[in-house]
Amino acid sequence: MSHTVLVCDDAIFMRTMISDILTQAGYEVVGEAETGAQAVERYKQLKPELVTMDIVMPDMGGIDAVREIMRLDPAAKILMCSAMGQQALVIEAIQAGAKDFVVKPFQPSRVLEAVQRVLG
Amino acid sequence: MDLAQYAELFLAEAREHLAAVNDLLLAWERDPASREPIGGIFRAVHTIKGMAATMGYTPVADLAHRMESLLDGLRRTERAPSGETLELLFRTTDALESGVNAAVAGRESAAAADLTSALERAAAEFQPARRAGPPRAGEAAVEPRPGGAAPGIPVRVTLKADAALKGPRALVVLARARELGAVDAVHPSPAEFEQDDFDGEVSFRLDTQASAEAIEAKLREAGDVARVTVGAAADLERRAEPGTGARHVRLDLRRLDGLMNLIGELVTARGQLMEVASSQADIALEEVSRRVSQLTTQLQDEILQARMTPVWQVFDRFPRLVRDLARRLGKQVEFVIEGKDIELDRALLDEISDPLVHLLRNAVDHGLEPPEERLAAGKPAMGRVTLAAARERDTVAVRVADDGRGIDRARVLSAAKDRGLIESEADISDEEALIRVLARPGFSTAAQVSDVSGRGVGIDVVVTKVRALGGAVELRTARGLGSTFTLRLPTSLAIVRALMTRVGEERYAVPLTHVAETVDLDPRRVTTLEGRDALAFHGRLIPLVHLRRVLQIDGEPPTRRPVVVVGVGERYSGLVVDAMLGQQEIMVKPFASPAGTLPIFTGATILGDGAPVLILDAGGLV
Repeated sequence: MSHTVLVCDDAIFMRTMISDILTQAGYEVVGEAETGAQAVERYKQLKPELVTMDIVMPDMGGIDAVREIMRLDPAAKILMCSAMGQQALVIEAIQAGAKDFVVKPFQPSRVLEAVQRVLG
Repeated sequence: MDLAQYAELFLAEAREHLAAVNDLLLAWERDPASREPIGGIFRAVHTIKGMAATMGYTPVADLAHRMESLLDGLRRTERAPSGETLELLFRTTDALESGVNAAVAGRESAAAADLTSALERAAAEFQPARRAGPPRAGEAAVEPRPGGAAPGIPVRVTLKADAALKGPRALVVLARARELGAVDAVHPSPAEFEQDDFDGEVSFRLDTQASAEAIEAKLREAGDVARVTVGAAADLERRAEPGTGARHVRLDLRRLDGLMNLIGELVTARGQLMEVASSQADIALEEVSRRVSQLTTQLQDEILQARMTPVWQVFDRFPRLVRDLARRLGKQVEFVIEGKDIELDRALLDEISDPLVHLLRNAVDHGLEPPEERLAAGKPAMGRVTLAAARERDTVAVRVADDGRGIDRARVLSAAKDRGLIESEADISDEEALIRVLARPGFSTAAQVSDVSGRGVGIDVVVTKVRALGGAVELRTARGLGSTFTLRLPTSLAIVRALMTRVGEERYAVPLTHVAETVDLDPRRVTTLEGRDALAFHGRLIPLVHLRRVLQIDGEPPTRRPVVVVGVGERYSGLVVDAMLGQQEIMVKPFASPAGTLPIFTGATILGDGAPVLILDAGGLV
């Protein structure tokens, strides 16, 4: 059985890349979102087992989206996608309830390791 | 678990914390109204308590706990400590230090009862009035066990060196830990995770029933984890203090010595290789041997560098010593330390510690005048003693200076004359001559001299020690202005230049630092002094040591023989050898004379041709 994933990023390039990495590894990408607000909406509809969340997105950033999703579902598993230099923001996201993070530029193996860690 | 292996680590770290406590107490004493020192003192004492409890050193943990209670009271009430309270804290720090040493040495000794009761009384003053009457006897026994304050198992996690965003990763680690139980006493605090200098090491206490293996497995799930330490080791391995810049590891000094010895052998083997290579006329071999030679030199430099230790590790003990002494003698002293970061070979640094204590004692005791005398002389009542280290060319100069009365030549002269040490005033006309007189053993042991303004006490010990280390002692003094003693030291000990000599078939090395001169043995200059052969040397008679006799070598000595005049402090003697073979750098291997051998060797070295050579101990021969 494959795990379901929601991929949130404002860049199509990043969404495509993450989706490819996950799909090739046997995960099922059930939806994508390009803003924080969209991410919250999609989460409610799709109830994915995992969310990958960009930090900086228009119309509600990733961190606020994490807070909102955690409020809706305290068991939600969210993996933050961050760039180097976003140390403080990543810390905020984890304090908000994100389970783990990966750092851009992505190496497929690192992304998959993080996903496996979060899904346990 | 066997805790014994952590004893040394405990000792080193406890000493560091105690040194910090001493420093902070001194700062507090200077400015009792300041609220700054107490935080650091409290943390250090708390850490010692926790470590001692982990090691099972109950008396130390108990004493630290009592000190902590008093500190806690001072902190909560924000009261400035009285002189009496500070004195009590100083005494307790001393008792902790001896307790730590005793515990590590396997001797358990409870702190003196008067100290614990004084601490209890002092702490009781700060207790909120929640109970009436004095504390009941035996009440201390029902207090929480020291070290039991923070519940849970100590855990320490080190992140991989190449982990990206270590701060957030550490938070993920803590989040994983919380899945197993409550997390407490996180160090550094999560607020510091965002700092750029967070180095990816976090320790905390985890209140859980999970096994060490389960804890480690869970924490590794956080990703980028290099190492997880669970249990007492985590407490003890925690590094001294973050943020000191360069990264350090604790290293057993014996290991460094061992490494040094191996390098010594490598240097020797390199010599052999060079000899072989030069005799073979093989270009490839010469090329390789040159490369090996370069690498050996680099390795030698590196290891010598690794032995270098900043002088503060010894100097930091002195403010306390000077303060205590000044208090006892009723003097007012401002003590200044300069050049704390100057580095010396670890072994050298340990060796000069006692001489410096001598010089500092002298400066406070004999150098500085009492306040009223200073005021009468138009000086500030507070005297100044400076301990300064500085690099000067390829040596390190360590100075002990005071602005006291200076050395009274007239008194030194009359005292020295009384003892028959000198003949005329001309003998102490300059400072070099003065220090020679002060350094005479006969002079320094004369108790009366130290009671007047002379400063003979221990100067011979200082001079002898520093000379033995390959250094020299200089003196500057001016009446009414003060004195400065300068110890000029080599930066490193292990490699020395030596004069190679031959006696019979064997070669012997004499460290050049002790060689005053070499002369031919002229029978016309040999006389007898107290039944022994003596040589006229610069207007005095020095004893001759016939090494052939000492080493019991039979056979006829050569007709012309050289004498190596060695001097340690003010004592000289002439070593009669068969021949001199030139100077050479040798790597000293320390050496304990086996039973039954002559106690005249300090060590051995191995020469380029593979022959072992004994190093003569000038100190044992003069």
